[in-house]
Amino acid sequence: MGPSFIPAAVARQSWQAIFLAAAIALSGGLVLYSVGGGSFSPWALSHVIRFGTFLAMALVISYISPKQMKPFIFPAYIGVIFLLILVQVLGVIGGGARSWLNLGFIVLQPSELMKPVIVLVLARFYDLLPAGQIRTWSAIWPAAALTGVPTLMILIQPDLGTATLVVFSAIVVMFLAGLPLRLFLGGLAVVATIIPFAYFFLMLPHQQKRVTIFLDPETDPLGAGYHISQSQIAIGSGGIFGKGFLNGTQSHLKYLPEVHTDFIFPAMVEEWGLVGGLFLILCFFLLLRWGMRVALNTKPRFDRLVAAGLTTTIFFYVAINLMMVMGLAPVVGIPLPLFSHGGSAMLTVMISLGILMSIDRNNRKKQQRLV
Amino acid sequence: MTAIAIERQGVSLPGQRQQTLSLTYHRLMLMMLVFAGVTTLIVARILYLSVFSDRADTGAVGNPLLPARGDIIDRNGVPLARTIDAWSIAVHPKKLLGDPAELAVKLNELMPEKSAAEYLSLLKSDKTFVYLSRRAMPELVAAVNALGEPGIAFDREPERLYPNLELAAHVVGYTDLDGKGAAGIERAFDKQMSDPATRGEPIQLSIDARVQQALEAELLAAMHKFSAIGAAGVIMDVKTGEVLAMSSLPELNPNVPGKGSMDARFNRITLGVYELGSTFKPFTVAMAMDAGVVKSLGQMYNCSSGLRAGGFTITDTHPFNRACSVSEIMQESSNIGTAQIAAQLGAERQKEFLKKMGFLDRVEIELMERGRTLTPGNDWGEVATMTVGYGHGIAVTPLHLASGYAALFNGGIWHPATLLKTGKNRPVPAGRRVFSEDTSYKMRALLRLVVTHGTGKKADAPGYRIGGKTGTAEKIVGGRYTGASVVTTFAGVFPMDEPRYVVVAMLDDPKSTAETYGFHTAGWNVAPVISKVVSRVGPMLGVQPSTSRDANLAEVLPFIRGD
Repeated sequence: MGPSFIPAAVARQSWQAIFLAAAIALSGGLVLYSVGGGSFSPWALSHVIRFGTFLAMALVISYISPKQMKPFIFPAYIGVIFLLILVQVLGVIGGGARSWLNLGFIVLQPSELMKPVIVLVLARFYDLLPAGQIRTWSAIWPAAALTGVPTLMILIQPDLGTATLVVFSAIVVMFLAGLPLRLFLGGLAVVATIIPFAYFFLMLPHQQKRVTIFLDPETDPLGAGYHISQSQIAIGSGGIFGKGFLNGTQSHLKYLPEVHTDFIFPAMVEEWGLVGGLFLILCFFLLLRWGMRVALNTKPRFDRLVAAGLTTTIFFYVAINLMMVMGLAPVVGIPLPLFSHGGSAMLTVMISLGILMSIDRNNRKKQQRLV
Repeated sequence: MTAIAIERQGVSLPGQRQQTLSLTYHRLMLMMLVFAGVTTLIVARILYLSVFSDRADTGAVGNPLLPARGDIIDRNGVPLARTIDAWSIAVHPKKLLGDPAELAVKLNELMPEKSAAEYLSLLKSDKTFVYLSRRAMPELVAAVNALGEPGIAFDREPERLYPNLELAAHVVGYTDLDGKGAAGIERAFDKQMSDPATRGEPIQLSIDARVQQALEAELLAAMHKFSAIGAAGVIMDVKTGEVLAMSSLPELNPNVPGKGSMDARFNRITLGVYELGSTFKPFTVAMAMDAGVVKSLGQMYNCSSGLRAGGFTITDTHPFNRACSVSEIMQESSNIGTAQIAAQLGAERQKEFLKKMGFLDRVEIELMERGRTLTPGNDWGEVATMTVGYGHGIAVTPLHLASGYAALFNGGIWHPATLLKTGKNRPVPAGRRVFSEDTSYKMRALLRLVVTHGTGKKADAPGYRIGGKTGTAEKIVGGRYTGASVVTTFAGVFPMDEPRYVVVAMLDDPKSTAETYGFHTAGWNVAPVISKVVSRVGPMLGVQPSTSRDANLAEVLPFIRGD
């Protein structure tokens, strides 16, 4: 990097990430304006304001170096576990699950917070674990316990989607930490054999239904597979350039369910077409690629595990939501991060982005020192 | 195990740390591959959904102006058939969310053509897809959409529209639900109208919509007035064989051909064959003149009493009870006289003439609905020759008759009938000579006489110099002729001093009325149709009405004995 006219404080921001996140969030605001009936309320304005607030928070987080974070990780983990217990006692039931905590100024979903925290705590654990022990039993059971406790607590809410994401994030950190590959292959085999069992004995009726409908939407007699069909119709009906801003019939005529959260992507593609859809996918892809670059460029073990783990968490959000609305995955209540209306998911993602930017900043400082 | 781990920790070297780092690096790369793979999958899926979904604009890829099916226009460019983008309303019974019974009632309110019970059975059917309405109006689509039932689907589909409704329905024809030609020009030119290479150019018919309208209106009025079960008419250019109007009743709306009866869909002009009776007599006289059997319009025949032929007696409705001239035979439509002329001509020459006029074969026209004529066949002896001479024992289409009259009055040259406009791009097809010019000329006065002094007086239209011949043939009911039910025909030509157009009109089973004094013969019911039609279409066709010009009646009047 040559001599710069730009002040160091400005140059050191992760502009790529900020731009991409802002592009996604603002296009989300535009779509929310449309599905809100061409109005800033109830969704568009609060979405944009919330993004601004969380972006400021993420920038603040980015000034805390990973080293400074380390002492607070275990306490934070304990704190979220406590919140999960609290939600069982005081929680608000929403969408069939007791997962919301009304803190007065914000309605919080503690299980959402668990997603970045589980990544941090496992990264911290593998950071502390001596390198030689990575292929031993002591590399597995503490991690399994750290993951298992919150997962079970989220499962009994019940919130299968979030629990699955927490487990996925944890598995990714373990995988990157270098646990033997056979464990994952073996685990995969075990999961494949338990799924039928889980379907019949663990899943609630509405979850079973989602799976059967996903496998064959046409067999559904009461029209519950209708969400998937309508979503695909909306995506298909947009054509190349879409029906135009504020002209989506599928979303405005309420054919699409949860159009401001889980099913926002089809609403967007209906109005903006294939071009709009691909633009959004490209933004997400670039953001995720940036996250992975941060992970690749960093040397400390903790930093790398955190960066990769958080990026993957965001990836899971995006991938599962998009695959769901396109009929490639069963319907699970996972929003499209930054794009959908909804505070908790955005909070999770912005915390993750803040930490990623912190690691990114750290990388650049080191590079500059080398120069 | 723990001990070993501690030992290893003891020898934890930078090298081993390096190894772990590179393992993490490899696994990171693996994760990125998964990212790329899933992203590719998502992009492929959204492309698939965008490309393989139904939208109306898929029809005209390439040239948006190219219609899905070629237009049909009349000789002046008036559209007779077009293709529009219409809506269809369908239901996916298995995807219904609402209560089918409630929905059926609402559908019945919006689309009363089916009862609520019928809608209910459709909504409950096992099929995955049922049409509720095709070619729906936008208002209806909006109203059904407002029911908010996601199981009901709307789609755009090309629909054939006949903007003039019944006008020239049997010429234009109609398409089936899949858009393939099922009748008329639609069927005959199906390939040309569906081939992208040719369908951009409309098919221009010889039909003149104004003339067609006049003919249809007059025929319909006569059909109702005389309570006929059907009617038909054709107007043809004698020089080119172009059909300017062709109508078959009862009416058919080609927009909903399925709602028409079998009878309505039947084209009486080209597919129906009838014994056309006395309208045949001019052919017999012309043949005899051409063959030299009749040397003068004053040649006399014995018409004093019924003529014995085979097992029965030929009689006249207007008996002379004396000797009569050829002119009088034509004037009063004498069966007895014509049968004698036909007998003199002989079966062989009669057959030869009929063959040359195409009366023994299917009628020549572009349509595929063409009837097979009925003739005496191998039984064509002297009796048959006599009956055929006055139009019995032979059944042809009204179009045969029109083509024959055209040949008789255009100077003697027969042309195949055509429904396509002739002109620069389409020259008149070559014809063949049937009668000599002299015979053709002499026939003018003879047939003008029928209208001025004979059975066809009611066909006259002042100034248009109509000539022609009436024909009343008894219908065969249960294998025998009955006087009760008849087919009346008038074959006319105008203006007789310089013939340009043939008009044939026919009523199927007209009833007598007080106005006709109990008669149901052609002179009473179908002749007035000719008068009215010619009065209307004459100006459209540029025929100048004139009281000073006429056929040269001096050639025939001397042979008429006033009673």
